[in-house]
Amino acid sequence: MTPFRSTPAGFVARWAPVEREVLARVARDVADLLRADAGLPDDVTDADVADAGVAFTGVARVPRDPAVQRLLPDAHREDADVAAEFRHLTQTDLAAGKVARLRAFADTVDDGGAGAGSSDGQVVVARDTAQEFAGALTDVRLVLGERLGLDDDADVEHLHHEVLTGLGIVEDDDAEGADPDETDAAGLDAEQRSYWGGVFVAAGFAQESLMDELLAELRARGRGADE
Amino acid sequence: MTSSATQEDTRTEEVSGLADPWVTIVWNDPVNLMSYVAFVFESYFGHPQAEAHRLMMQVHEEGRAVVSTGPRERMEVDVQAMHGYGLWATLQQSGASGTEAGA
Repeated sequence: MTPFRSTPAGFVARWAPVEREVLARVARDVADLLRADAGLPDDVTDADVADAGVAFTGVARVPRDPAVQRLLPDAHREDADVAAEFRHLTQTDLAAGKVARLRAFADTVDDGGAGAGSSDGQVVVARDTAQEFAGALTDVRLVLGERLGLDDDADVEHLHHEVLTGLGIVEDDDAEGADPDETDAAGLDAEQRSYWGGVFVAAGFAQESLMDELLAELRARGRGADE
Repeated sequence: MTSSATQEDTRTEEVSGLADPWVTIVWNDPVNLMSYVAFVFESYFGHPQAEAHRLMMQVHEEGRAVVSTGPRERMEVDVQAMHGYGLWATLQQSGASGTEAGA
């Protein structure tokens, strides 16, 4: 995986076939999870929501899955009525928007399921869809972070260290010889943790490089407007 | 961070004369990238780079920051936008527990 770079055609990176396949699959899985747990009808689309207007808002319920709760959090910490009212008014739109952009992300990454071997390994993110692409990466990372039990900054640093050590990128200075059958606090065994940790780190790398380019272009436009 | 907190409180007080002042709070989370949060603060709220950076660091170091102040309906729009971006945001009345200087 190479960092995203700004080009006239948009933001371009080179991902290995397995990276494209896995990230596209995870994004579609997150979309399915979100749709089911937020109470969206099957195969709801943005157009359906726009057409139906308030018709879908009655189905909003507090998601059961903690990862989906993180994507659709309570809007008030103490006042359950305010939180419930907000959820009633916004959840269907928010969830449908996230589902749509996760699916668009997956289609961009693997050419709509056509296979990871096409386009010379290039992932091309058009400028006008880059924010949505970054938002989908955020939702994927939030769900993976919850599954990996990443509760604070130290957890994330530790995971990065584990993943980079596993790839041989950094030297392991505190090898513990973990039992492969032992599960961590999040209930993942060593193999699962290594796999999902790798996906989390890769998604973060992709997003970080995309944000660097997006911020640079946003600030350049801001300076242009000031002149 | 003391000086910036005072700044924020002053701004909250300025609008507290309005009916029904509420605030949007963004909470720290370990997953969102600092560059992504800065991008959201600059592009959505239109903050200059330095102000977006200050708010982002306040979220990161103090665990939360007040990112907008106004009537409840306006704050609901902002919170919905933040949830859309994947940021962890809540709204509350600005006088409620700990978000205001209470001077």
